[in-house]
Amino acid sequence: MTLELKHLHCERDDRVLFRDISQCVERGEILRVAGPNGAGKTTLLRMIAGLFEVDGEVLWESAPLSAMPESVLYIGHAPQVTRELTVQANLQFLSGATMEAVRHALQAVGLRGYDDSLVRELSQGQKRRVALARLWLESRPLWILDEPYTALDVEMVAVLDQRIKQHIQAQGVCLLTTHQPPQQLDYRTLELGHGY
Amino acid sequence: MGIERRIIQREWRLVMARPGEVLKPMWFLLLVISLIPLALSPDSTLLAEIGPAMIWVATLLAILLNMDHLFKDDYSEGVLEQWLFWSRPFAWCVAIKLLTHWLFYILPLILMTPIVGLMLSIEADVIAVLLVTLLVATPALTCFSGLGGALTLGAARSGVLGVLVMLPLFVPVVILAAGVITRTTDGAGVGPLLALLAAFSLGAAILMPLAIAAAIRLNIGGST
Repeated sequence: MTLELKHLHCERDDRVLFRDISQCVERGEILRVAGPNGAGKTTLLRMIAGLFEVDGEVLWESAPLSAMPESVLYIGHAPQVTRELTVQANLQFLSGATMEAVRHALQAVGLRGYDDSLVRELSQGQKRRVALARLWLESRPLWILDEPYTALDVEMVAVLDQRIKQHIQAQGVCLLTTHQPPQQLDYRTLELGHGY
Repeated sequence: MGIERRIIQREWRLVMARPGEVLKPMWFLLLVISLIPLALSPDSTLLAEIGPAMIWVATLLAILLNMDHLFKDDYSEGVLEQWLFWSRPFAWCVAIKLLTHWLFYILPLILMTPIVGLMLSIEADVIAVLLVTLLVATPALTCFSGLGGALTLGAARSGVLGVLVMLPLFVPVVILAAGVITRTTDGAGVGPLLALLAAFSLGAAILMPLAIAAAIRLNIGGST
């Protein structure tokens, strides 16, 4: 039992978002969190990632995940980039990678040659690719991806799916939310938003 | 690359990308100090008397100008929350950021003190004391600014609110520094007061990053 979610509970603005969520996710598994808008998918992912206090328990290999934040690679809705800096400066800052590694990662996400471009000059989709480039740069076992396919074209969706597959095959774990069911991946689904 | 080095390198790159952010407070200080003699009588002894206090207040205001920039941009872009996933304690990263901010944005301001001091005909030994009090006190002021900025991250027009919230903490620093300057102009010893100021500043520099980290976490947790 690599990732254990135990009795997770969340209330926002006097509304219960989710109650008594318990799940186990093993290495090599993908868990898709599904549900309508406002069901609490983002909140659940952020709670697991440790961005706010957990009501319940989140364990990674039987120890609290909050004690091992470096095990988590979280990519949320926010751009996660600084507009006034170059693509490379951004990725170097967030992931601590070398220029060489950044160049390879950008190649993988279809942004070859964009190392020295300022982020503010990029399109939404390109900015998203910059954020996702971290998936090629960092070796953290637990990926928590909130709507990773947003603003991506068909080609990049396939590239991302391939990278997630690689991560899973290397015994990583992936939690993700997406409104479109991933076509290329094998995953289990956790449904939110019913009965509360 | 070590996290500390990454933070410092990025702050440097931001300074290079937005040099105006360093120059803006310096221009503000210069502007205020240039205008004061025009607003008062040309009596240079009066200027020399209130000059140090004016420089202190103008420098403080210039620091407050930058308060919003400390964390707000990184917070709204989702960059700040990524620091929570680093292997260094978040409060430590905050402390490094504050130190870098002081180095790149506040120190240039302080180094203008001799220039603006001369503009107000302040004596050299008073300018020297002014410089020392600013060097000693501004770390605390930077930290208080940081806390004000961190507490109001989620608020829309947070600039004024952050300042108001932190005002009670600024006041002792200003009073202590004013005490040091007054004693200097009176020719009395400043050692004990300066030591008190230094102790206050050191205490703030140690405790504030913890408080700021907690305030930022609170705001991150409150956003979805």
